[in-house]
Amino acid sequence: MKTKKPTIKKAFINSLLNFISILPMMLSIIGIVSIFQIYITPDMLSTLFGYSNFTDLLAGTLSGAIANGHGALSFIIADGLKNEGVSIYALSTFTLAWVSLGFVQLPAEAAVFGVRFTAIRNILAIFSTILITYLTIVTVGIVS
Amino acid sequence: MKKLEFKGIKFFIFVLISYILLYIFDTTNAIKSLDRSFDTLLTLIPIFIFIIILTALINYFLKPKQIVKHFGEDSGKAGIFYSLVGGILSHGPMYAWYGMLKDMREHGVKDGLIVTFLYSRAIKLPLLPLMVAIFGITYTIVLNIYIIIFSIIQGKIMDRLK
Repeated sequence: MKTKKPTIKKAFINSLLNFISILPMMLSIIGIVSIFQIYITPDMLSTLFGYSNFTDLLAGTLSGAIANGHGALSFIIADGLKNEGVSIYALSTFTLAWVSLGFVQLPAEAAVFGVRFTAIRNILAIFSTILITYLTIVTVGIVS
Repeated sequence: MKKLEFKGIKFFIFVLISYILLYIFDTTNAIKSLDRSFDTLLTLIPIFIFIIILTALINYFLKPKQIVKHFGEDSGKAGIFYSLVGGILSHGPMYAWYGMLKDMREHGVKDGLIVTFLYSRAIKLPLLPLMVAIFGITYTIVLNIYIIIFSIIQGKIMDRLK
């Protein structure tokens, strides 16, 4: 017996419904990220850095994960911070955490994938962000 | 046909209340935040359309069995490769992809591959020139190699923990 293939129209309707179902969640994230971007300025961020390389790693990861937003914006902020003398440890973790983490989207991620998945993924991402930055700095130091 | 079930309604109500309170206590910044949200939404519309079309095409051309074959338990190195390439080429914020990933997960995609996809998104090809300008060419190359390695490691750990 021949299996009935779903029509392209049905596939599009399903895809659209799938998208509409997560629309409240996406609008919430956009809304909350905008509030963060208005209230957390680059000047405020720069006060978090400069105490030691280790604290810069942590502060960069934390601030990148909280700030979040369009990837290009993280590099523009990082460029400004670099001019203020912020270390490469902070800049690197900040830009990496900006695109790979996102504390404001945690409720949404948990709603879609479950709390366990979200917790493990974010913990792994935090450690990876710190380790990647550290290993990159060490490797570049050896290579150059 | 699929039943419509909204996700994140509580979160939406929380954000809505936050905006109302913000409007009452700090009207200027509330309007600024709302303006920024609107601008963000406008820039994301093409990405949303792309994801809706991509999800529909995946569902139309790939049967659940094929999805499992490419991204399921026995997908092996090919599954990792597809997830990495998909993550690197994907645009827009992470949350824009949640719907498609949720759909694929329901069709049998491994959690580890979703993790690999999500972290490899840290490599932003259009932003590489900006990255080079700030960090230099050597740093950018080494950093992106490590991102690939750690995307795979994270995926493996996630699958081990399952």
